[in-house]
Amino acid sequence: MHSSLVRLQNVFGFFTTVAFVVAALIAASDLAAPRTPKSNIQVKDVSVLKGRPHYYSNKIEEYAQIRFSLSADLSSLFTWNTKQVFVYVSASWPNSTSVALSNEAVIWDMIITNPSADHLTNLGPSAMKKLKRSAKGKPIDPSRGKLELKNQKPKYSISAPGGKLALTNDVVLKVHYNVQPWVGVLTWTPQVEFLGWKKMRGGVSKVFSLPAVKAKKQPVKKD
Amino acid sequence: MADQILDKARDIAEGQIDFEGQRFAEFLATALLSLFGVIAFVAGHIKQDIKLALVTGLLGTAFTMALVVPPWPFFNRHPIKWLPVGGVAKDSQGITVDGQVVG
Repeated sequence: MHSSLVRLQNVFGFFTTVAFVVAALIAASDLAAPRTPKSNIQVKDVSVLKGRPHYYSNKIEEYAQIRFSLSADLSSLFTWNTKQVFVYVSASWPNSTSVALSNEAVIWDMIITNPSADHLTNLGPSAMKKLKRSAKGKPIDPSRGKLELKNQKPKYSISAPGGKLALTNDVVLKVHYNVQPWVGVLTWTPQVEFLGWKKMRGGVSKVFSLPAVKAKKQPVKKD
Repeated sequence: MADQILDKARDIAEGQIDFEGQRFAEFLATALLSLFGVIAFVAGHIKQDIKLALVTGLLGTAFTMALVVPPWPFFNRHPIKWLPVGGVAKDSQGITVDGQVVG
C-alpha cells in the first residue's frame, strides 16, 4: 500500500471479491422468496389443416392450430432479481414408439419483463414508452405476472415429422415458465417442490383429441 | 531545475505514504468496501430494487478509491525518523542499544 498504483490495485482487487460475494447473496436471496404460481388453461378451438405450415416448409403436411384460454397468476415470480419471465404453452401427446417419451411442441410463448429490464425489450419507441410508463417508479411490478387470455390464437402451429397429425388422441396443453434472473441460475417450472418453490397449481388442460383434416374450401372456378 | 521538476512529478505520481498510513489505508479499503457491499445488498433487498444495489455498490467503491488511492495528508502524519548522517545526534531521539543512547 506504499504507492498510489499499489493502492489502486488493492482496492480494485478487493472490490471484485466484494462484488462476487454480493452477487452470490443476491442469487441466494431467490431461494428465500416463495414461488407459488398457478394457472388454468382450457382448450378452445382445434383444427387440423393440410398444407405448408409456414413459409419455409417445402413439404405439404398436416398441421394443427389450437386456440386456448389461459388465466395465470405468476406474480410471485417477480422479485428484485427477476430480469424476465418466459411463459410458454406446449401441446403434448403420446409417442407411438415409446411409452417413456411423449411428443411435445410449443404453441404459444410470451416474455414478461420486470421494470428493471424494460430497456432491453425489443420494442418500437412508442410501445417502449408505454411499457416504461406502465411501471413508472416501481422497481418490480408483480401485476405483470397476471395473465388473462381469452380464446387466444396460437403463435405456432404444430406438425409431426411423419406429416400425419389428424385424429391424434390424448393431447394435453401444459403451461410452463422460465425465470431469468439478473444474477444466478436460470430456473424452469419445478418438477419437485423445493423450500418455498412450489409446483405450478393447475397448468394442465383436459385431455383432448385432434379432429380430422378440415376440408379446404375449393376456389370457385371462373369460366 | 528540470531534475527537481521531474522528482516532484515522480513523487506525485508515486504517491508514497508512511508505514502507519499504509496500515490505515489497508484498513480503510477493507472496511469501506465490505461495508458498502453490505449496504448495497440490504438496501437493494429492502427496496426490492436491483439497480439501487448496483449503484450503491459502484458509488461506494468510487468513494473508497477516492479516499484510499491519493496520498492524502492523513496518510503521512507519522514520518520515519531516520538516524542522522554520521551517527552523531544533535538531539537525542531516545534510541538505546545496550543501555547507551545512540541516537
